[in-house]
This record gives sequence, structure tokens and C-alpha cells, in this order.
Amino acid sequence: MTSPDIHTLTGAYAVDALEEDERQLFELHIRECDACAQEIAEFHATAATMGAAAHEPPPASMKDAVLAEIDTVRQERPVAKVTDIATHRDAWYQRLLAPAAAVLAIAVLGMTAIIANMNERIDTMEQQTGRVADVVAAADATIIEMPEVDGASARIVYSAARGEGVFLADGLPAAPGDKVYELWFIGEEGPSPAGLFDADDRGRVTHVVTGDLAQVQAIGVTIEPAGGSPQPTSDPIMVAEV
Amino acid sequence: MASGARSLRSVPDPGGGPEPRSEDELLVAVARGDQQAFAELYDRVSGQVYGVIRRVLRDPAQSEEVAQEVLVEVWRTATRFDPDRGKATTWILVMAHRRAIDRVRSEQASRDRDERVGVRDHIRPFDEVSEEVETRFEHQQVRAALDALTELQREAVELAYYGGHTYREVAELLDAPLGTVKTRLRDGLIRLRDAMGVHA
Repeated sequence: MTSPDIHTLTGAYAVDALEEDERQLFELHIRECDACAQEIAEFHATAATMGAAAHEPPPASMKDAVLAEIDTVRQERPVAKVTDIATHRDAWYQRLLAPAAAVLAIAVLGMTAIIANMNERIDTMEQQTGRVADVVAAADATIIEMPEVDGASARIVYSAARGEGVFLADGLPAAPGDKVYELWFIGEEGPSPAGLFDADDRGRVTHVVTGDLAQVQAIGVTIEPAGGSPQPTSDPIMVAEV
Repeated sequence: MASGARSLRSVPDPGGGPEPRSEDELLVAVARGDQQAFAELYDRVSGQVYGVIRRVLRDPAQSEEVAQEVLVEVWRTATRFDPDRGKATTWILVMAHRRAIDRVRSEQASRDRDERVGVRDHIRPFDEVSEEVETRFEHQQVRAALDALTELQREAVELAYYGGHTYREVAELLDAPLGTVKTRLRDGLIRLRDAMGVHA
């Protein structure tokens, strides 16, 4: 499998060819990486020249329609100049923290008995979000793609310098019955457990992993009994060489 | 640069002022609520906005709908434009392309575009334009720059930008590894940038 340097995603990003989750992750990286931000600014200008060359007169009626519409649309207030990236960063945080916000709303409605528990969950989510952001923004962040299986896609973004990574999946069904998914790092001495996870009700997984990935040759996912297994007990549903 | 090169803002100025305002100046004026400046900016950029959206979406009615949304969005969010960080036309066309792509991706949830269009019948999406468009200088300049790329670079860039495909889809269409497509997209854009003398 490929394990490209994250910086090479500038081209795909500039022509809007990244999947939505990758786009959001990469925008986190751009915030921290001046070289990528500069290259993307140049690529955007290049793409705009390609777009300008596709010039085609719109239907004449469109002008009146647009001018009539702006007459009814209030403009955004001016803000201190922030980058588009920062704006998108909010969207990314919203995605991860939206469930936390919903939980918080319920808690405020007076379910005092479980507020402490809820707060803990929120703290965990926020910590996880921060770690995801740190990993993706790391200068040495690398992506390992897993081949797509039945509409489920997954990838690991990891930073050797930080000694941690994030396993991200989309379109993954919840593990069957009382089983769980288990991630494996496979090295010369065989597979070692890299944590248990399950998909949320939207088929998404964000699972932080730690450890030295330098010795890892492949990464696999299996379905295991509740509580996980010390060694895989079934064939992997996904596997990728590093 | 080639002799007789027209700049991208060679569209006749309807206002007839001695010193027509640049798109950057117009957009800054739009941010202050200047509807006259907006109308002038519309005349300058609406053909580019509609053109890039139509290239991606193909359907004229849908393209008009999205182009209209984008132009209203230009009005609404003009306060975000910062002339120190890039040109107004870039800002607008990046927005137009993104909106067209958003429409493609949301449509793909319900049906597979490639089944409808045919997998390899738009391998040169840039060429699917009228003769009138092909004679324009901008088109010829971009054509020449695209033709200077390697085959794989050109196909990857065209399928992604004009065809509206993700790099995964491009990899499948071209039967090339994902990593190769990613690097070809980047290499291709670097060469286009240099060939077209583009600055951020």
C-alpha cells in the first residue's frame, strides 16, 4: 500500500479531489505547514486560470436573478482576517464535537445525576480531538491507506516523531452482535493488539493509537469477541502493508 | 509572453471610466455593500463562474442554479476576501469549483455518475467546449500548458479539475496506483503553474 508523505496531497486538495474527511484532515495540516499553504495558494491560482479558460456565457436572465437576489441578502459582518483554513477547522471540530454538544444540552436540562459522567465523556472527546489535530498537523504526518472493502474505507495518519497515530474509518458497519473490531500492528514477530473500536451510528471511527510504528510492516483489522483477543482469531477484514 | 496576449480582464468596461477598476478593487467595494460594483464584477466573472461549473456538472440548468448560488455567495461573503492573500478571480473561481464539486458529491450518493457518462469517454474533459471558446486566448494558453504535461499528469489534472473526480476515482479511471495519481496531480500543477507564470 501507499504511505505517501502528507505534503504531496496539495495537488489533490487544490483541485478538490480529496474525499471529504481527508479534506478536513488536510486543512488541519495546512494550518501548521506554511510550505503547503503557499503551494496551495499557487495551485489555486493555477486552477483558477484553468477555470477562467472554460469561460462560457451564462444565460442572460441569470444577471437579473442574481442582482434581484443580492438585494434581499444581508452581507456577512467584516471580521478580523482569518484564513479559510481556520474556518474549515471549525467545521472539523464541529463534526467531532457535535455529539458532545448534544450531550451537553441534555445535561443542562437537569439530569444532574449523570452530569459528571457526561462531562468525562466530553473531556475524553475533546482530548481525542486535540490529539487527532496534533497528529495530522505533525510535520512528519504520513497516511497509510487501507484498500476499500464493501464501501468501507480506512486509513491511518501517523507521526513517527509523536509516536502516535489516528485510525480513521468511514462507511464501516457496527461490529456484529457482541463482537468488536480489533486493530493489529503486524511486525516480524507477528500481530500485536493496537486497540479495540466500533463504528458509530454513521459508520465512522476515530481511534487513537500509540506506539512505535517504525517496526510495523502491516496493519490489519479483525472482528473479535467482546473484550478483544491477544492474537487474531479470525481473518482480517482489512489489511494494508506499511 | 506571446505577442498580442490579452490579459484575463480584457472584457470591455461597461462603465467607460478612464481607469477601470480591477476585480480586486471591485470585490473590496462589494464588501462595503456597493451594488454597482457588484454588477460590474458580475459582468467580469460570471462567464468564468458559469463555465467552470458547467464543465464539472454538464447539465445547463443545474449549472445555472449553482452559478447563481456562488455569485450570491460572493456578495454575501465578500467581507472575507483579503486582497493581500490572493486575487479576487482566484477567490471566486475556487469557490465556484468547490460548489460544483459539492453538488457532484452529493449527487453521487444516489447514483453513479460514471455509469451514466461512461468510464473513459471524458478522458479529455477540457476539450469538450464550443469552437467559440476554443479560439479564446486563455483557452489556447491553457491548452498549450496542458499539452506540455506528461500523459498521466494531464489526464489526472483534467479528470480531477474539469471532470470533478476524486483522486481515488481518477486512479480507477486511469488504472493507476493511488500514490501515483496523487504525485502526478501535484507534479502536473507545478508544471502548469510554471508554464502559465501564475503567482499566488
